[in-house]
Amino acid sequence: MRSFNYAIAENKQGLAAALEKGYKIKAGGIDLLDMMKERIDKSDRIVSIAQLKDLRGIRERDGGVAIGALTTLRELTENEMLRRKFPALADSIDNAATPQVREVATIGGNILQRPRCWYFRRAEYDCLRKGGQTCFAVNGDNTYHSIYPMGSCHITHPSNIAPAFVAVGAQFVASDGRTSKTYEARDFFVRPSEDVMREHKLPQNEFVTEIFLPKLPDKSAYVEVKEKQSFDWPLAACVATYADTKWNVVLAHVAPIPVRAVAAESLLGDRADIDEALAQQASEAAVADAQPMTQNGFRVHIAKAVVRRALLKACGKDFTA
Amino acid sequence: MSETSANNPMEKTLPRPDVRQKVTGMARYTADQYPAKVLHARAIRFPFGKGLLAEADVQKARSIPGVISVEVQKGKEASYAGAVVGRIVAESKDALEDAMEALNATYAMMPPRTNPMKLYAGVPQAEAADEAKLKEIFEGEGVKVVEATYTTQVQTHSCLEPHGTVADVRQDSAEAWVSTQAVMAQEDAVSNTTGLPASKVTVHSEFVGGGFGSKFSLGSEGTMACRVSKEKGRPVRAILNRREEHSDGGNRPGSIQYMKIAVKDDGGIVGGRVHLVNTVDADGGGGGIRNPNYYKFGNIVRTEDDLSLNGGKPQAFRAPGFPQGSFALESMMDELAAAVKMDPVAFRKLNETSERRKSQFDQGAELIGWKDRKPDGTTPGRIKVGYGCGAASWGNGKGKCSADCEIHRTGEVEVRVGIQDIGTGASAVVTDTAAWHLGLPRTMVTGKVGNSDFPPGPGSGGSVTTRMTVPAVRDSAENALTELKKELATVWKTEPEKIAYKEGVFTNPATNQSVPWKDACAMMSSASVVGHGRFNEEYWGGGSSDTVQFVKVEVDSETGVVKVKKVVAIQAAGQICNKLTAENQICGGVIQGISFALFEQRILDPVTGGQVNADFINYKIAGPVDIPEIVPVLDIRDTDTGARSIGEPTTIPTAGAIANAVANALGVRVRHLPITPKRVLEAMQEQKGKTA
Repeated sequence: MRSFNYAIAENKQGLAAALEKGYKIKAGGIDLLDMMKERIDKSDRIVSIAQLKDLRGIRERDGGVAIGALTTLRELTENEMLRRKFPALADSIDNAATPQVREVATIGGNILQRPRCWYFRRAEYDCLRKGGQTCFAVNGDNTYHSIYPMGSCHITHPSNIAPAFVAVGAQFVASDGRTSKTYEARDFFVRPSEDVMREHKLPQNEFVTEIFLPKLPDKSAYVEVKEKQSFDWPLAACVATYADTKWNVVLAHVAPIPVRAVAAESLLGDRADIDEALAQQASEAAVADAQPMTQNGFRVHIAKAVVRRALLKACGKDFTA
Repeated sequence: MSETSANNPMEKTLPRPDVRQKVTGMARYTADQYPAKVLHARAIRFPFGKGLLAEADVQKARSIPGVISVEVQKGKEASYAGAVVGRIVAESKDALEDAMEALNATYAMMPPRTNPMKLYAGVPQAEAADEAKLKEIFEGEGVKVVEATYTTQVQTHSCLEPHGTVADVRQDSAEAWVSTQAVMAQEDAVSNTTGLPASKVTVHSEFVGGGFGSKFSLGSEGTMACRVSKEKGRPVRAILNRREEHSDGGNRPGSIQYMKIAVKDDGGIVGGRVHLVNTVDADGGGGGIRNPNYYKFGNIVRTEDDLSLNGGKPQAFRAPGFPQGSFALESMMDELAAAVKMDPVAFRKLNETSERRKSQFDQGAELIGWKDRKPDGTTPGRIKVGYGCGAASWGNGKGKCSADCEIHRTGEVEVRVGIQDIGTGASAVVTDTAAWHLGLPRTMVTGKVGNSDFPPGPGSGGSVTTRMTVPAVRDSAENALTELKKELATVWKTEPEKIAYKEGVFTNPATNQSVPWKDACAMMSSASVVGHGRFNEEYWGGGSSDTVQFVKVEVDSETGVVKVKKVVAIQAAGQICNKLTAENQICGGVIQGISFALFEQRILDPVTGGQVNADFINYKIAGPVDIPEIVPVLDIRDTDTGARSIGEPTTIPTAGAIANAVANALGVRVRHLPITPKRVLEAMQEQKGKTA
């Protein structure tokens, strides 16, 4: 590992000052340290935010729920209120990584993590996202890459939890140490066509303090399909939520950002109860504009399956029949 | 199994004696050795499939503080990702890695060979006489012919402890810690590399985190550690990182297996054509597929060839050539059974070559619930249930091993054997065999392995370790007991043969007085007595390590995800030395088989030839949730004597049995490993296309 300067922020102002000097935040450190060990991230200034205790915890507020950015995934899965009222979120967290990782990984770090693309993660591939000229996935092995084209880079967004936030219209609250700023989850993630080197809109001088869920859904479900049941990323995953007589359907691991299946949402209309036939139709609508690459066509089929399943599961129905 | 004793290993399930050390991290592996003033050495490796290192900033790399030397082989052609093109030596791992980065190497690349199916030339014409014979077989009256091509992937050994050596070469002697499955052979290797006599070399391998066939040689990293240590006069660490381990730590070559087999309506296999292709590295060699096998396949015309890829070199891998061969031949057995409308178990028993396995098939069918097996693809709903089976065997030839059993005046016993425990529990086997044979509680006995100064034992290959070690340990214990009796005879003024001994108690023939073990040992004239033991046929049983496995799977027909729900593994095992370890070996073999069947595969980038999954994130290995209920059954019969091999046969039939269970569940066969959701969905799509 390269040597680096390590600072510990004692409060938000201290953190903001460190960010101004180009420090990079270490929360759980799960993704950052991996990136540094692989010498993909060459940061020489790291600031720990572990001491910022007020960024930690889950509180009910203004009819919604505020989750501190430093809350660990384990703490979230142990929250009975969230499990009861927003099972899709709890299920998606249960399925993230491993028990050891969930013990340390934070929810803020999860939504801000870098992509898992195996070309991006290898120093010898000077890919677009690292400032190079080529997306190696196009002619390479793209089995696990995007099936929705959104520009010249074909990553899939690595968080299987972010889609739940997108589905319920969560807000990511950020701070620069003086004022706070709110980003809509639905407008937070960046397509490669907008900026190929970023996955989100948070600027260097800001940090996420909390994730605010204004309202928990009446119904929700999360379904993912993965090759291996222990520690694997999904081939496709879907969150379906029903609130205010509207469905929200968000797909994960199929595109460079968590992607809303708008066609499916409008097809479902305001129907609270969904039967097999309607779920099937919605799932077909959800993948109608998918454009797989050379090796990942099968994942269109799997994306369709997770949409159908998430809708039926949200309505308490058996999707394996 | 004639002997009964208070500590009969079959009646106890004792954890291995070093379990506490292992689970608390106290066990010190090669990678844990940091001698004072140690240097760090690592190879510079070509990252792509084919080409050469063009430019590297050697001067900048050398200027990094703590860097001792940087050597780059410019212009040397590399034929796989991971090929060595230089080396760096530094005072610390960080300095070494900083220097690697500072090299800022650029490469000239040539198109790599990565895709076996694109390079496969098909089935060659056989000799004229053979072609005539085949024509006769395939056109015989009342025969059905099944033709299929099966493929298997490249599987890397993925040892949890990577390959590595820590060498301390001094003026007149050398000490080395090597992660190896052949500690005695490494003594010679270090001797050859350093020019020191073997008697001046000691190799330590007390704990080894897996080998699976990839750790028989000192390897390029071990040779480098020894040479640099000799050159610099300081200890040197050369431990592969995970990426090096995947790309250059050895692999099971992939295969393309063409089979065209004729079967009579009554279920008897007539024979046919088999053509096998090993997908090996650019230099060729290292392949060899065991197909056909086990069953009466009749008259077979068989050809075999190598196909070179720009990937790392194959190494022996747990039952080399067998799991890939088994996958194809067990798949073919089910396809043949279907062609003649026979139950797969009945069909196997009809064509079996082993009576033992016939009875294992009956036992396994009972234990898995074979009667619940539905016709192919007929489970209602989207989650389909399937059952499958397969068989294997392993030989138990004679070999060489020696052991020393030392009884101390304190009553403690130490047994030393120059073998190694690569994670199998070999040291538990040594301890428990001696304790059992001496009639002592295990706490009195310490089994020691993994040191080249111990009496020579075999390398751990071909599942020989237990079956060769047990006779030597028993012999040494017996001889040590004789030495102890000689000591007592002197004191008691009698003949050693007249002294009775049972379960820790000696009897003085003159007085008929009982003397417990510790009291007897205290009477020794010296600090200890030593019994030398050798492999001998008296305690060797021979025979076959027959295996039959049954599996139950669930296949999600909508997503293609396969979950193994249960495996019954029946294993002929002979004399058991530690029941828990034996069962653990069976479970480990099954798990590695599941992982081979469903998950593992080396993925080479088709454009650059780099291994894009040279890590444990993208190289997928079965994890806790992927591991089903496994029922290990030790099949031990009254006529069995001697310890038998179980390490390798247990991993052979699993993949074929899973493939058959998947085919039974879906009514669609996947002929390619690993059976991923992609493969399952593609096979179903293809089937739909055919029936539409």
